[in-house]
Amino acid sequence: MTAPQIAAAGRSVPSRLVRARDVLVFEWTKLRSVRSNHWTLLIAAVVTLGVTAIVAQSAASAPGPPPGGPVNPLTSSFLGYGEYTVLPVTVLSVLTFTSEYASGLIRTTFTAVPRRRAVLAAKAAVTGGAALVAGELLAFACFLLTQAILASSHRGLALSHPGALRAVLAAGLVLAACAVAGVGVGAVIRHTAGAIAAAVTVIYLLAVLCLVLPSPWGDRLGRFTLPFAAYQLITVHPQPGLLSPGLSMLVLISWPAAALLAAALVIAGRDA
Amino acid sequence: MSLPPAWAIPVVAVAVAFSAWCLVDLARAGQVRYLPKWAWAVVICVSVPGGGLAYLIVGKARPAASVPWTAPGAGETGIAASGPLSARRVPVSPVVIEVDQLTKRFGPVTAVDALSFTVRPGHVTGFLGPNGAGKTTTMRVILGLDAPTSGRALVGGRRYEQIIRPLHVVGSLLDATAVYGGRTAWFHLLSIAQSNGIGRRRAMQVLEATGLAAVAGRRVREFSLGMKQRLGIAAALLADPPVLIFDEPVNGLDAEGVRWIRQLFRSMAAQGRTVLVSSHLMGEIAVTADHLIIIGRGRLLADTPTDRFVSGTRQDVLVRSPRAGELTGLLTARGAAVRPEGDGGLAVTGLDAPAIGDLAAGHGIAVHELVPRHASLEQAYLDLTGGSTDYPAGTPAPEGTAAS
Repeated sequence: MTAPQIAAAGRSVPSRLVRARDVLVFEWTKLRSVRSNHWTLLIAAVVTLGVTAIVAQSAASAPGPPPGGPVNPLTSSFLGYGEYTVLPVTVLSVLTFTSEYASGLIRTTFTAVPRRRAVLAAKAAVTGGAALVAGELLAFACFLLTQAILASSHRGLALSHPGALRAVLAAGLVLAACAVAGVGVGAVIRHTAGAIAAAVTVIYLLAVLCLVLPSPWGDRLGRFTLPFAAYQLITVHPQPGLLSPGLSMLVLISWPAAALLAAALVIAGRDA
Repeated sequence: MSLPPAWAIPVVAVAVAFSAWCLVDLARAGQVRYLPKWAWAVVICVSVPGGGLAYLIVGKARPAASVPWTAPGAGETGIAASGPLSARRVPVSPVVIEVDQLTKRFGPVTAVDALSFTVRPGHVTGFLGPNGAGKTTTMRVILGLDAPTSGRALVGGRRYEQIIRPLHVVGSLLDATAVYGGRTAWFHLLSIAQSNGIGRRRAMQVLEATGLAAVAGRRVREFSLGMKQRLGIAAALLADPPVLIFDEPVNGLDAEGVRWIRQLFRSMAAQGRTVLVSSHLMGEIAVTADHLIIIGRGRLLADTPTDRFVSGTRQDVLVRSPRAGELTGLLTARGAAVRPEGDGGLAVTGLDAPAIGDLAAGHGIAVHELVPRHASLEQAYLDLTGGSTDYPAGTPAPEGTAAS
């Protein structure tokens, strides 16, 4: 029995589009059907808003302009978000692959969808999409909460302030970028502990390292890391030593793109 | 119509997000007070096809025609709606599994060594071998999970990776415990169904048929091994495929479950399906399989119908006589081979029972027992694989052996 005969037997071949939708729905069902994902996201949102409120309160009650310049009402909106949302969501996105490898479910997944790059793309799209929605919602919530608290000391910003809307939108995008990078790292490394360590290194620790480098080198290298690029996007006054917002955007996209590319290169050839 | 591959979708999404951000950035920076007409043109040109694409993906796109082994009007699942597991009104299209000179090495270990066999429709084919013989590895290569070092394995003339919506062609269960414990049985099965365009109704139907409907809402972590086996079998049967591949499916099932699955295999084969079932125990498989493929150390040892496997192997005649020594001399003189057994009996090969009886009678030797013996399936299997066990009892296992 050869291939043409099977086709001749009448089994219609669904279009690529339909198959792509199938894989997306497959991954979406898997993502939403794990209860701990919902809880983690909910707790992350609550903690983030709590920390944001504390940061805003202390900024609002600071007497006069602090030594480092005036209170930055925009950047301070995202201090809590940058850690208590980004870190848990990154871990969850790493788990989308590593939990399947750990349990062996990945073999069922690859048996159902033997085109492994399609699985990778679907996981990245679904996880990144969910992170984008969650990120935008939380970014707006953080911004509005902070400005509401700062308004009591007349330091708040309106969303219509130049650069404010862009910053809030970019903050949501940062979460999506970190989630997609997490998916890629998880696919490459496969083991949960190692993959989480690698993802946290890429997303936070490289930047921390750059902060302690001697003077010109800290910024020179640091501007290519995710947190520096994210900072340039969520502030009204970009720092002169770093990349422009446009190039920072490119940096923000490049990290997840690189992780996905690495995953696409290794995922097809390996024994599952 | 030729469409972009699946990976294009996130690329397009990122591109659209980036363009939107650029527009916002330009507007915010005050470089454009309002968007010029060409910019709106760009926005429309990007968003309209993008929206159309999303619409097709999320909603309405459906396969155009029916699936072949489907009753007409069977609906979106491509499966006949009535009947517990399969109610085909149209015969199953026969699909053959061909393994051709397959070799798989894991570093220095050769798990499968130039293995060739064919699994035909309409039979339950037992895939036998001791632990470490390469059964699972062979199945993993057939399912496209492992890449062969050389040779190939084809299902219906194609490599598994080339089959579109493969669950409609091959249903398989390799390891029932390979499920994510935090998900409920229903969502586990539903996600697998969705990956191949199979509807919710069919997923529910299969759950009911495997007796799991009552526990569908429970997380798989709480399941016993037997329940996980049933869930795995449910997943394999989702699309009512013409090929079934099971690795050690009886493990963990209770007696009723074992009987159920044996009947299932036989009825599936009777419908013209190709059924490949592995086991390391002959007794388990002999009652179900009508064809045997036996391997040891990755090599083919036997590829034969079950009944011929037994008759083709060792048989002898057990003789007991008070004058055993005398009889031994007579039998040997006639060209028979005589092997004394521990309890005073003689195992005679080379002469059949009537000839031995006549010979003894002709010399006036009393015979107390004269029994023609066939080796049992189990014994025949042990004789065949005796030299090819990786870990015979009593010998320490070598380090770093991967296959099982």
